[in-house]
Amino acid sequence: MRVYFRYAFKETFSNLWRNRMMTIAAVLTVAVSLSLVGSALLLKQSAAQASAQWQQGTRVTVWMQPTASASEINGVRSQLANLPIVKDCVYDTQAQDYKEALQLLPPSESSVLTVSDMPSSFRCIPTVPSNAFVVESTFATQPGVYKVTAPEQQIREMNRAIRILQIVFLALAAVLLLSATVLILNTIRMPIFARRREVSVMKLVGATNWFIRIPYITEGFIQGLLGSVVAMLAVTALHTWYPLHNEFRLNTSALLGTNAVVLIVGVVIGSVGSAIAIRRFLDV
Amino acid sequence: MIRFENVSKTYKNGTSALKDISLDIEKGEFVFLVGASGSGKTTFLRLLLREEHPDQGRILEAGRDIGELPKWRVPYLRRNIGCVFQDFRLLPNKNVFENVAFALEVIGRPRSTVESQVPQILELVGLSDKSKNLPHELSGGEQQRVAVARAFVNRPLILLADEPTGNLDPANSESIMALLERINRTGTTVVMATHDKGLVDRMRRRVVELDKGEMIRDQVRGVYGIDEGITL
Repeated sequence: MRVYFRYAFKETFSNLWRNRMMTIAAVLTVAVSLSLVGSALLLKQSAAQASAQWQQGTRVTVWMQPTASASEINGVRSQLANLPIVKDCVYDTQAQDYKEALQLLPPSESSVLTVSDMPSSFRCIPTVPSNAFVVESTFATQPGVYKVTAPEQQIREMNRAIRILQIVFLALAAVLLLSATVLILNTIRMPIFARRREVSVMKLVGATNWFIRIPYITEGFIQGLLGSVVAMLAVTALHTWYPLHNEFRLNTSALLGTNAVVLIVGVVIGSVGSAIAIRRFLDV
Repeated sequence: MIRFENVSKTYKNGTSALKDISLDIEKGEFVFLVGASGSGKTTFLRLLLREEHPDQGRILEAGRDIGELPKWRVPYLRRNIGCVFQDFRLLPNKNVFENVAFALEVIGRPRSTVESQVPQILELVGLSDKSKNLPHELSGGEQQRVAVARAFVNRPLILLADEPTGNLDPANSESIMALLERINRTGTTVVMATHDKGLVDRMRRRVVELDKGEMIRDQVRGVYGIDEGITL
């Protein structure tokens, strides 16, 4: 066994060195493909996260008439509280809304306002963004309600855009992964093809298939490993330096997860690729 | 040592390579396999290595039916059979010592065995002083001696040679034959396919002649041509 490990180790590294141009080609292929796959995964997660955050921020506002009575306000309040599709509601008094108006409007306009002109309002977060429309249809005609506003059109468009974006990224990642597999298979097959003479001699003198196979699989494993390490660096660099809006910025665990996927995919593609590549030369 | 029982082999393209061959080769025998190209000599050797399977009949080596060996045992069968070819089949990027050592390393022999056996076998084939040379720095005869050393370094029971002198001049052929004879004297069974009339005639060993897959002659102290065999 010890003899074998020494042989496999020696053979693996001398093969890597002897075919160093091929090794570099394979490593770079893995690195480039997996960088793209990793980036696509990262972007997909970013988009998902941003959309979740935007949706969380979706608010529907029920504006009361400035003249609404306390019982009308309480009626709306209790109805909102009992509505299961509404997650959370905050009541802003007329005074609070007046303060907000002062901040939002230019002084020339806000100067004519008084507190009693202002509507009080319920700022509600629906459980799902699309529920904003249900809130709107329920309360628009209630007594004491002035108007219900929801960023309807924007939400719909944003949701569609994000869904399309996610599908595009996923498809991109799938295509890249496939092309990476084929490229790696080919890159590993070439040196094996170049050494079919060696393999045929090994078979002739009675080396077992596993004995022949292991150094090549280890070689593919190392190529996949090196390639995915480079890809991980690229993905991390993208994560760290690409100027993204805060909503897109992923936390470290998402990055680690993506890197883990990149690493596993690289290593598996490398070893399985070379195992497949050598199979043809082992059959007699 | 080797027994063919009614062995027939037809390739997928319809070529009938061997037809109903039955034959016994004793341990320590030296057998020439002669016949024109395409007469089935190479198929005969490939069957012994289990690189091919017979369509009919069975082949026994050392009393065992090699057709019944599970696939994973085949490498172990081959460890008992050394092979030499017309085109040497040396690894061009390994030197003489490494080429021979390779045969031991890949069957998991410890380094101590490699270090004691390889110089010994290189001494036997007379190439001790060339152990650091690469194959392309050697003459054809020397390269074939390296190939013989590689085939014999594991002390196989059987040595197969497929036209080992096909690429060599008469002097080098002679030295390869001397080497094979010497190996044969250690008790190794040698089966050699050849076209070299002169060698066969001089050696006066057992001759098996194949013609279009059929065994047309099995002579204990034969010569190459059948007519000459009769007149002698």
